[in-house]
Amino acid sequence: MQNTVRSAPLKWLVAGIVLGLCQILAVALSDPLGVSTQFVIVDTKIIQSISPQYVQDHPLVSADKYQSFGYGWWLDIGLLIGAFVAAIAVRRWRIRGSTVWSHVNGHSLGVRFLLCFIGGFLVLLGARFAGGCTSGQFISGWTQLSLSAVPFTIGMFVAGMITARIIYPKTPRIDK
Amino acid sequence: MSPTILGLIIGFIFGAALILAGLADPDKIIGTLRLKDFHAMRTIAVFVIVSMLGYWLLDLLGYAHGSVKAAVIIPVIIGGVLLGVGFGMTGFCPGTGLACAAAGRIDAIVATAGMLLGALAYILLYPFIVPAMEGVWNYGKVTLPEITPISRTIYTIAIAGFGIIILFLTRPRAKTV
Repeated sequence: MQNTVRSAPLKWLVAGIVLGLCQILAVALSDPLGVSTQFVIVDTKIIQSISPQYVQDHPLVSADKYQSFGYGWWLDIGLLIGAFVAAIAVRRWRIRGSTVWSHVNGHSLGVRFLLCFIGGFLVLLGARFAGGCTSGQFISGWTQLSLSAVPFTIGMFVAGMITARIIYPKTPRIDK
Repeated sequence: MSPTILGLIIGFIFGAALILAGLADPDKIIGTLRLKDFHAMRTIAVFVIVSMLGYWLLDLLGYAHGSVKAAVIIPVIIGGVLLGVGFGMTGFCPGTGLACAAAGRIDAIVATAGMLLGALAYILLYPFIVPAMEGVWNYGKVTLPEITPISRTIYTIAIAGFGIIILFLTRPRAKTV
C-alpha cells in the first residue's frame, strides 16, 4: 500500500468555506447537520420487526422521531451518495482495508478491523449519550453557540488526543 | 421542498465536501488528534467559523432554523469522552465513517457495523441509566447568549477572532514531508 498520506483535494480555506456553506444551507432550509440519530432509527426498525412491544414500551425509541425516515435519514443517504460520487470524481475511490498510520504503527489488518469495530461502537454509544456526534454536537453546537457544545468539545478532544497518542504513537509531522 | 429531497441535497453536498476537504480520511483525523497535521484542523476551524457567522446572520434576519441540544452535563461529558476514545482509535466519526465507507474503505464499513451495535447498546441501556443522569446538572436546550449577559454578536466576533488566531498560529510553513 502507499506509504504517504495524500493531501486533501481542496485547500483548507476553500474546504472549510464549502463545509460551512453546507451547514448554512441546512440551517436556512431545514435543520442543522447531524448524522448519528439515524443509527438508532435503523436499530429501532430492526428491533420492531422482532419485538414491536419492546419498542412500544421503550421510553426513548417509542417516540415518533425514532420511528420514521425523515430529513435526517435522507441526509445520511445523500451523504453516502455524495461521498461516493466525489471520491470517484477526484479518483480517490479505492478498495482498501487499512490506513497509512495503522501501517506505520505496525497494526495488522486484523488489528485495524478490531480497533474499528470497538471504536465504532464507542463512537455511536458516546454520540447518543451526548445527544449528537461530531456533526450534531460539535459543528452544529458551535454554529448555534449551544451550551452543550462546551463540555462535549472538551471531553471529545481530550479523550481523542490521549487515545490517538496511545494507539498511534509513531505518527510523523505532515503539513499538506 | 420535501424533507426527502432537501435531506438528499444537503447530505450530498456534505458527503462530497467531507471527501474533498480530506476530513473523510482517517489518516488526516489521526494526524489532527496527534497534533501533527494542521491542514485538517484549519479546515475544521474555517468550517466552524463560517457556520457560526452564517447562523448569526440568519438569526439576525430571522431565517435560522436551530435545533439546540439539551445541556445535560454528565451524559454530554461521558458521551464526548466515549466518542473521543472511539474517534482516536479509528479516525472516524459517524459522518466521516459513512463517507469513508462510500469511498471504498472496508475498515469504515467495519466501524459502521460497530456503530450500529453501539446504537443498539444505547437503546438497551437507555431505560436504566439515562433518565437518572438527566436529573442533575440539566440546563436544558440553551445557548451561551441565553444564559450569559453577552450577546450572540459579541460571542460570534470573539470566537471567530480566536479561530483566526488559531489559523494564524498553525499557518502552513515549509513542508516537512
